[in-house]
Amino acid sequence: MDPIILSLYQVLVFPGFLFLMAASFLYEWLDRKIYAWMQLRAGPVTAGPVGILQPVADFVKLMGKEDITPAYADRRIFGAVPVVMVALILTFWAVVPVTGAEGLVSFKGDVIFAVVAMTFFCMLVFLGGFSSADRFSLLGAERAVLQLLGFEIPMMLSLTGVCIHTGGLSLSEIVSWQAENGWSILGPQSIGFFIFLVAAQAELERIPFDIPEAEQEIVAGWLTEYSGRKLALIRLAKDMELVFVSGLAVALFLGGPFGPSPAGLEWALYPAYFLLKLALVVAALALIRGLFARARIDQMVSFGMMYLVPLSLAQVAATILWRLI
Amino acid sequence: MSSSYERIFDIPIGPQHPALKEPAMLKLKVDGEHVVGVDLDVSYNHRGIEKAAEYRTYIQNLYLIERICGICNVAQTLTYCLAVEYLHGKEIPPRARFLRVLAEEISRINSHLLWLGVAAHEIGFDTFFMHVWLDREITLGLMEALSGNRITSSYNVIGGVRRDVTEGLLSTIRKGLDELEPRVKRYREIVLNDRSILKRTQGVGILRSADAVSTSAVGPTLRASGIKSDVRIDDPYSSHDQIPFNVITADGCDAHSRILVRLDEIMESVQICRHCISKLPAGPILQRLPRRPPQGEAMSRVEAPRGELFHYISSDGTDKPYRLKVSTPTLANLPALVRMLTSKGRYVVNIADVPVILASIDPCFSCAARVERSGGA
Repeated sequence: MDPIILSLYQVLVFPGFLFLMAASFLYEWLDRKIYAWMQLRAGPVTAGPVGILQPVADFVKLMGKEDITPAYADRRIFGAVPVVMVALILTFWAVVPVTGAEGLVSFKGDVIFAVVAMTFFCMLVFLGGFSSADRFSLLGAERAVLQLLGFEIPMMLSLTGVCIHTGGLSLSEIVSWQAENGWSILGPQSIGFFIFLVAAQAELERIPFDIPEAEQEIVAGWLTEYSGRKLALIRLAKDMELVFVSGLAVALFLGGPFGPSPAGLEWALYPAYFLLKLALVVAALALIRGLFARARIDQMVSFGMMYLVPLSLAQVAATILWRLI
Repeated sequence: MSSSYERIFDIPIGPQHPALKEPAMLKLKVDGEHVVGVDLDVSYNHRGIEKAAEYRTYIQNLYLIERICGICNVAQTLTYCLAVEYLHGKEIPPRARFLRVLAEEISRINSHLLWLGVAAHEIGFDTFFMHVWLDREITLGLMEALSGNRITSSYNVIGGVRRDVTEGLLSTIRKGLDELEPRVKRYREIVLNDRSILKRTQGVGILRSADAVSTSAVGPTLRASGIKSDVRIDDPYSSHDQIPFNVITADGCDAHSRILVRLDEIMESVQICRHCISKLPAGPILQRLPRRPPQGEAMSRVEAPRGELFHYISSDGTDKPYRLKVSTPTLANLPALVRMLTSKGRYVVNIADVPVILASIDPCFSCAARVERSGGA
């Protein structure tokens, strides 16, 4: 096949944009089903078999709704944030390995690139909330940035642990190392995996860390003024972010897409393994979401600084010791 | 928002807000995440029920009164019936008195479970909320078995109760209570041990005993500040003087002790219901009373799930009341609510605490909205 068409196919369809969108809808459904199961509810049931098309239906419905921009909002930033969010995640998705050791692009230091995505996303949240010119949005934006203080350092440290452990700064190196030496979660990185999950929960703004959009306190936080197409895009971006973060967790801790496979079937089995491991991570995140009450912002930051940071430092120390032995 | 930098700004909680199920207005002055001032307005839902009661007969009023509040409809009709019976100066049959206690306690369990779910929802713990509300269905089923209706029961009538119970029905109720008791015990354990609940409720919404008394708080809000006060003991009505039970208090003075007080009260109510079922006297359930009570005034108090409920009736000898005055527990708890929301010294109220504090008095603003506010609070 023409290499240009192949590249276009990879970027636009698989494992690029379309695949990511489909996966994000699928895992939103899974997340909602598990959350509903924990609450003794049925969850989505009407759209498609076992309600599997509900996220798509929600997305389409929101796209068709009236789109309002507040009179005092900074129109350019307000309108740009949802688009940039989706574009950001689509771009960063390129580094996540789906079919083999490498993602669409792979280079030395793409782990750092992936971490930047998280911080970037948080800044967009702040911009979105700040440009809305609404008290609730402003409070939500403030909280999002404060929350960043709580989870960013532990998350980076947990990644550092993996990098030290595997001796690589690129996702492909980390994944290939795991293919030879076993999943990195099996060593001292089990702590790292736990920290990463907790930090991811904060990054994704889900209970117990859905503080920037706490419904009972500040309506919808930074999302309050968003509606219609913009809200649909933001929700899509958040679902994609869920898949992106979970995909990172799979690559860093669960051996990436690799698994036992007969020769010649890797092209089908590796993505299947990837989706399966992704489902595990999403399920773990959904369990966390169902088990806790929402923390307060000061409690969240002090939890991050007092427990997560020392824990992740201990994990890095343990990893260095492990390497020396 | 003006372009100049303002450090302190207003956050309106209400009249429409996800934390509120009914319209009320809580204007908060906030400095970052801290609440530095609060202003409360509850007059969004004035329904003119007291005036409407003057145009209806005493019997018709029963069905108006129970619509003051859906959750404590049993307590509302009970208070009203007691007041009318005081006007007549007549006692009702003992069986009816016991059945009234039974209905009242079942509705108290229902109200407290509903509240527990709402409180869990306010701290963002929706799983707990869903589980509690599923178990609340048991009490709704019991209410339906007893009165024929799940919510608006119309169980109390002037001079007694509307429906008698059979042996089969009593054993159904007993079974329902047996099912409910271990669930409530489990919830109590969760509330005592779950760290995320403790973090959000302990030390939040402090109301010291002295403040509770000086702001005239009532019901579980008062009892959670360590004051032993309960109309069922202080001024027994129905058959509460013949039934042994404890008045639950807690010393925490915060939102967490308010949860515990209500959970323990559910356990007490279960015991009271069991006692009523086992000691239910035989006899008629209704004492027929004349349509027109004699001229005069009467006042009655009942311990509704949210606290002391007060009715006053003035009769001019016709078949319609000359004046009906209702004072609900939420109204009595509002000054205490403002006190809890006011930061003072080391006690700082966060925005995130406001829904929790608001929920902790179990507000029912549609009951309370019979006052107009004038000027500052």
